[in-house]
Amino acid sequence: MSEFVDARTLPAGMVLTPDIAIVGGGPAGISLAMALANNTKLDLLLLESGSANFDPAVQALYTGSQSGDAYAPLEVGRLRTLGGGTNHWGGWSRPLDAIDFEKRDWVPHSGWPFPKAALDAYYPIAQNLIEAGPWIYDKGDSVAAANAPMMPLGEGGLYTSWFQFSKMRGDVVPTRFGARYEGSLKAAANIKPLLNANVTAVRLTPNAQQVDRLDAATLNPEGGIGKRFTIRPRHVVMAAGGMENARLLLASNDVMKAGVGNQNDLVGRFFGDNPIPRNVATLVVFGGKLASYYGSTQTLGEARMRAVFAPTAAFARSKKVMGSLTTLEYPVELDDIGKAAVITAANALGVDASSARAYSVGCGMELLPDRDRRLTLTGETDALGLPRLKLHNIVSDADFALYRQTLAELGRQVLASGAGLLRINCSRREDWLKNMDWGHHHLGTVRMHVDPRQGVVDGDGKVHGIANLFVAGSAVFPTYGASNPTLNLIALTLRLADHLKKVAT
Amino acid sequence: MNRRALIAGLAAAGAAVAAGLYRFTDVFVKHHPATPYDDLLTHLPDRDQAKRLGALVKGTPDANALAAQLRGKMPRGLSAAAKADIAAGRLVEVEGWLLPQSMVLLAALAAKS
Ligand SMILES: Cc1cc2nc3c(=O)[nH]c(=O)nc-3n(C[C@H](O)[C@H](O)[C@H](O)COP(=O)(O)OP(=O)(O)OC[C@H]3O[C@@H](n4cnc5c(N)ncnc54)[C@H](O)[C@@H]3O)c2cc1C
Repeated sequence: MSEFVDARTLPAGMVLTPDIAIVGGGPAGISLAMALANNTKLDLLLLESGSANFDPAVQALYTGSQSGDAYAPLEVGRLRTLGGGTNHWGGWSRPLDAIDFEKRDWVPHSGWPFPKAALDAYYPIAQNLIEAGPWIYDKGDSVAAANAPMMPLGEGGLYTSWFQFSKMRGDVVPTRFGARYEGSLKAAANIKPLLNANVTAVRLTPNAQQVDRLDAATLNPEGGIGKRFTIRPRHVVMAAGGMENARLLLASNDVMKAGVGNQNDLVGRFFGDNPIPRNVATLVVFGGKLASYYGSTQTLGEARMRAVFAPTAAFARSKKVMGSLTTLEYPVELDDIGKAAVITAANALGVDASSARAYSVGCGMELLPDRDRRLTLTGETDALGLPRLKLHNIVSDADFALYRQTLAELGRQVLASGAGLLRINCSRREDWLKNMDWGHHHLGTVRMHVDPRQGVVDGDGKVHGIANLFVAGSAVFPTYGASNPTLNLIALTLRLADHLKKVAT
Repeated sequence: MNRRALIAGLAAAGAAVAAGLYRFTDVFVKHHPATPYDDLLTHLPDRDQAKRLGALVKGTPDANALAAQLRGKMPRGLSAAAKADIAAGRLVEVEGWLLPQSMVLLAALAAKS
């Protein structure tokens, strides 16, 4: 049993020597610590910059700048508090598809070092950790049909797929890892959770083949650095989030001048997120009624679920489109042209559209990997002296054009089933950007590839060329489909835990 | 009243009743002036709505050529032609609406007629 320790109470200059130091207490760091503690005697140090409560001064360490296409301010899309992003996440969960792991010849830089099957054993455990109910992603159709009829789709490139939601019943919020697993972290004899502990640099040995130590500091309540201390671990796992992992590696540039692991200029590049353009289309349902599990989360069986439309792998391959998940949102009114389209189409197909209703369509998209969509360090520093990040964001016209093809196929399929028809509301770039949200899924900045020239970490999450440095979280995803990342990054982290148990015990 | 006047009067009254009836039924079934394309346009039960849509279709040939094209496309009627279009992915976007090609061409013909 170890209580949380406040790093501000440590003696200045202290040196800690755990077997494994985990940098960051978000869902990745917490899942990793718990998995590593299980059935091992590994001495684990979990370093978390924040504490159990939100602190604006700590949060301000995340502030950065940006250029290119509009994006959320860097301090808005993440939380520097124990539990990280799960303190404000939406709980949307869905495993990546097998095709997301494949090398897709139409997607440059695609392909994971291993297939989805490598995560099969870890998904159920990740699902338990996020408390999203039994694994019924693939059984949504049957549980839904027992509840209310599904919208028929004619044969084609899209199918009805399902999200499950982290614990969200009544007024219960999705699982917040800090609060939820506080007891487990404290109960594990071999985890030492250290709060208010900011890692400020990853120091390599002079030959750059090993992490020698981590520099860490606390934040003074009045601003600036409080206490400095050092960690000399046998192994380090960076689990500081999809932006901050890159930032720490880039900023640690005393031995490797371009930053740790950045010998091939990849750290911070290929930044990804899932754009969520709103009201991209209008879907008319001739019969009017739409089961409630399309527009919002519903309890189906023993899980909270929501239906979406996903491209099949065969369609993605034949049309060379990217991953996407199309959602139905809220009812909308039709204008006169819309009414004319509905009446004329329904007459042509011989279906009754007298009760037709229209719904706004949204989506989550996968972007084409782009090495110029990237994080870099600026000359500005935070209260701990660390250079701040700048994001250069790019959404290409090709990204929109590819998703448009998927929408057109959905439109064809609802016509084919006689269930309705679809209007694509976005043609010009500004139409797409007008109502653009982002998933706050920070991906790809420390990408994984077996070849060091194409990836920062290898298939085990180890930084190429550095024996004892690993990275956990969605920063390592080389491609990422349109599924929200947390379930997936936890599954991947659990796989890393198994690997670390082998190399560190 | 002589016989001729009576016949004329009855004819006028008949015409008035017929006109009234025509107008009355117009409430239920819209009557459109005859066109050379009525064999095609009869597939549009709501021709006014189709016209509204058809007016927005761009790049179609003149009515005669359009009608000739459509006669070739819909030997078994609009419904069969539309379903074949959908199956084959022959959809046309009209103001963003994704619609079967034959239906769109027919709507365009209605707008030109
Ligand atoms: C509004 C919002 C909604 C979201 N909704 C969903 C959703 O519905 N489904 C989904 O799958 N995902 C969602 N996400 C994304 C989700 O929050 C992230 O995928 C997830 O939190 C990433 O986990 P992580 O542990 O890798 O990183 P984080 O959660 O970012 O955790 C990193 C931790 O590291 C700590 N840290 C950072 N720097 C240092 C340092 N130098 N030293 C020590 N500690 C440090 C931070 O304080 C933090 O606790 C959402 C995100 C946002 C912002």
